[in-house]
Amino acid sequence: MRLVIDERRCKGCNLCTMVCPYRIFRPGTKPNARGIVVPELDRPERCANCRLQALYGRTLCGMCQMICPDQAISWVEEKPGEARKVAIEF
Amino acid sequence: MTYSDWLRADRLPHIYCAGCGNGTVINCTLSAVDRMGWKKEETVFVSGIGCSSRAPGYIMTDSLHTTHGRALAFATGIKMANPDLHVIVFTGDGDLAAIGGNHFIHACRRNIDLTVVCMNNQIYGMTGGQGSPTTPYGALSTTTPYGSQEPAFDLCELASAAGANFVSRWTSFHVKELTRSIHEGLKIPGFSFIEALVQCPTNYGRRNRFRQVMDQVEYFKTHGILVQKAHRLRDEGLPIPADAILLGDLIRRDRPAMGVRR
Ligand SMILES: Cc1ncc(C[n+]2csc(CCOP(=O)(O)OP(=O)(O)O)c2C)c(N)n1
Ligand code: SF4
Ligand code: SF4
Ligand code: SF4
Ligand SMILES: [Mg+2]
Repeated sequence: MRLVIDERRCKGCNLCTMVCPYRIFRPGTKPNARGIVVPELDRPERCANCRLQALYGRTLCGMCQMICPDQAISWVEEKPGEARKVAIEF
Repeated sequence: MTYSDWLRADRLPHIYCAGCGNGTVINCTLSAVDRMGWKKEETVFVSGIGCSSRAPGYIMTDSLHTTHGRALAFATGIKMANPDLHVIVFTGDGDLAAIGGNHFIHACRRNIDLTVVCMNNQIYGMTGGQGSPTTPYGALSTTTPYGSQEPAFDLCELASAAGANFVSRWTSFHVKELTRSIHEGLKIPGFSFIEALVQCPTNYGRRNRFRQVMDQVEYFKTHGILVQKAHRLRDEGLPIPADAILLGDLIRRDRPAMGVRR
């Protein structure tokens, strides 16, 4: 699974940057086509959901998705691709 | 646990300002409803007028967006006509406690089987930031330019005194706890009242020293204290900070209720 911010919904409030225990969300720097400064994702594959959501069959943590007032955060299926090294912090 | 199945995706993004806490409360409420496993055809959302009251418009079920302050009157009608429906009310502090204050106390007194989620931003958001019955003493609004000189209502105490079966308070920061308490409220027969303090960056935060959206949410995080802790402090004779926000399930009881599913 891959963590994504829906740029059509996000309004750039940065609440997601406040709650993530891994600090995956960082305040953005450039406005997008709608003039919204969408947060940037710092190595989103560290999020427990990206790795374990399919295995557990439920959303883990999910703080960012719950607090996002604009329903802009979700996880999408990834095409099977090449293997990637993920450094996990505990 | 997913709220997105209940949203009308074609209506999003919603009209709320960037960082408005109402959106978070919608997420929590829909997650709680989803946990109940209710059918969409048997669930109805009702609201009055205000930013908060626009919430049902983004939800897939049948809904009533009624006149200002009258959400509980309409919801009572639905429940009495068909007690098999699950009825959830979204309301604002102005909608519920100012113009709708009498409906509020009588719905609590009747203990009618509704779950009411009040998005309390302590202001009239939609109409440009006039003071409401929950605007804190000293807070600035367009109608209290020198700071409000009136004491504010405690909505949870009001609901408790008037007879609600379940009363709980959380904030837009406490998303997991808020979801759990709304879920409790949905399960309990009778009147369940859940107050969710929310940030209104546009009309409250901006005038009251919360320059960024995050500042007010941070305030909720640092000033919230659990009701159990407040009781412990009281029992030990220690002071409870004057600006503390009491959080948690405050009342849970089993008074006779009306309109309960047959
Ligand atoms: C009968 C009537 N009186 C006044 C209004 C104007 N009005 C619209 S919304 C509102 C206040 C809403 O405040 P609140 O319920 O706290 O909702 P918020 O926008 O803060 O979420 C008022 C006074 C109205 N629409 N109808
Ligand atoms: S919380 Fe949601 S709307 Fe706010 S910046 Fe993050 S993704 Fe965007
Ligand atoms: S689910 Fe939790 S860990 Fe994953 S990105 Fe969101 S807040 Fe961070
Ligand atoms: S005015 Fe306040 S309550 Fe209304 S949408 Fe904007 S931030 Fe939310
Ligand atoms: Mg309000």
